Amino acid sequence: MRLLRTTNLTRYFGGLCAVNDVNFELASGEIVGLIGPNGAGKTTLINLLSGVFPPSSGSIIFRDHEISRLKAHQINSLGIARTFQVVRVFKKLTVLDNVLAAAVDRRRLGPWGLVARAILGHGGAGETWDHDEADRLLEFVGLASYRGELAENLPYALSKRLEIARALATKPTLLLLDEPSSGLNPSELNGQIEIIRRINGQGVTILIIEHVMKVIMNISQRIIVLHYGEKIAEGSPKEIYQDPQVVEAYLGGEAHAEH
Amino acid sequence: MSPRSYTRLKWALGAAALIALPLVVRDRYFLHLLVTAGIFVLLASSWNLLAGYAGQLNLGHAAFYGIGAYTSAILATKLGITPWLGLFAGGIVAALFGLMLGVPSLRLSGPYLAITTIGFSEILRLVAMNWVELTRGSLGLYGIPSFTPIRLGSWLQIEFRAEISSYYLLLVLVCMSLAIFQRLATSEFGLSLQSIREDETGAASIGVNISGYKLAVFTISAFFAGLAGAFFAHYQRLVSPDTLSLGETFTILTMTMLGGLGTLVGPVVGAVLLTFLSEGLRFVEDMVRLDVRMIIYGVLLIVTILFMRGGIVGLWNSLRTESRAEN
Repeated sequence: MRLLRTTNLTRYFGGLCAVNDVNFELASGEIVGLIGPNGAGKTTLINLLSGVFPPSSGSIIFRDHEISRLKAHQINSLGIARTFQVVRVFKKLTVLDNVLAAAVDRRRLGPWGLVARAILGHGGAGETWDHDEADRLLEFVGLASYRGELAENLPYALSKRLEIARALATKPTLLLLDEPSSGLNPSELNGQIEIIRRINGQGVTILIIEHVMKVIMNISQRIIVLHYGEKIAEGSPKEIYQDPQVVEAYLGGEAHAEH
Repeated sequence: MSPRSYTRLKWALGAAALIALPLVVRDRYFLHLLVTAGIFVLLASSWNLLAGYAGQLNLGHAAFYGIGAYTSAILATKLGITPWLGLFAGGIVAALFGLMLGVPSLRLSGPYLAITTIGFSEILRLVAMNWVELTRGSLGLYGIPSFTPIRLGSWLQIEFRAEISSYYLLLVLVCMSLAIFQRLATSEFGLSLQSIREDETGAASIGVNISGYKLAVFTISAFFAGLAGAFFAHYQRLVSPDTLSLGETFTILTMTMLGGLGTLVGPVVGAVLLTFLSEGLRFVEDMVRLDVRMIIYGVLLIVTILFMRGGIVGLWNSLRTESRAEN
């Protein structure tokens, strides 16, 4: 079943075309890899899908909704969550509060609703968040023992996991991961792959940007390749590995030199 | 004793002490200082909700205070409306201005927002100075009525001309406001505000409606500053454009930073401490004929920022964790 489709998606920054006429689809339950050399427009594409900024033209359909003009928080409430290449955890909040902030049921109550609830409610009765669920998520990513720690004190690898737990707390159907393995050592890498697999096992569709080929070839069912903002290839890991255009994009002139 | 009932006992003792204080110390000047401190507690705590929790640097908070004061004063002197209604009218009109100032905060952040709020507050001060028919300009509005007496049956009547009854009225206002701040700060609403302070893009990615929360917190913060202003108008019975000055905002800011930005107790500690300190400095000022107060505030602010970011509350907490670690 189709979950998301982009049509002629394009984004300019001034005169620079960061994403150029990109069409692709995601099916429910897939893990799709998004690769390409530095500056290929991968992160820009994820920023478009998650509403950080709108596309210059083109459309994004997510489960029957046109989301290309929606704001980030609206897109999240429709069921798309994400992590960031450079982590954006809430540093001065505890690990648990990072997840709880995401666990608030914002589909039910807006800011003024929460104000009224805070002032009139009795000792937290009827709060929309679920503490047990937050604890389960921390357990799931292996952060249970850090729950009271400030997020700024976490080592880098763990703050990446905290971002994943935070994203999951919003109960997404589609998770966008922007380089979840960057800066991790080999043993941390395996843990990360395991976590991503298990999230997918729970029925969450995943689009993942990754530079580490071991990770991307290992877990993606399908791979999309961007180069200078354009989609140059799409297929199974094996197909992509052998695609001459992809080899060309990654190795430039060197590939020819060898022949 | 369970920790919960221990906390309750502490609160009960604190409340009893605050209620008994004016009966024990009968000095009118001391009571006046307590009332002044109470007004600053409201101002610093409401500023803290906006700056400390939501991270929105508003340098025009005194404008809300002044709007509340002028609103209630004008309603009472020109239209004869009772101060009891004026009190809430002051809060509500300030809240509307808060909502208005919230709009630029949707697009501006950090220093740009700060400069905009300074502009906002200076414009309002100039309006108060120059709209003579309404505000009497720099002369200020005087002859503002006190809160009208409350009759309890035919035998008891509470007058608000004396400091002592004003003190009790303010005590009720401050306690109710602090209870609301406490509930807001520790709720899902408060956590959402903090997520905005920490990282707006991150907050939006988990569904936080940044614009909605910013407008809400600007409105709420302004309401309580306006409430403080309206109370002040009927207590002092004189309102002048000085109420809206940048110096006033600077005082509020210093109190909050010194006490502990982004904590519930910090602004209370800072407000009480600096109110009494600045009165202590008054006789020094008379001697050297110089505005020593602002110089001291400036020094305190710099020292706080350089050496104790968490303010007094932060320092206290870290000392307590250290002593616990030693045990």
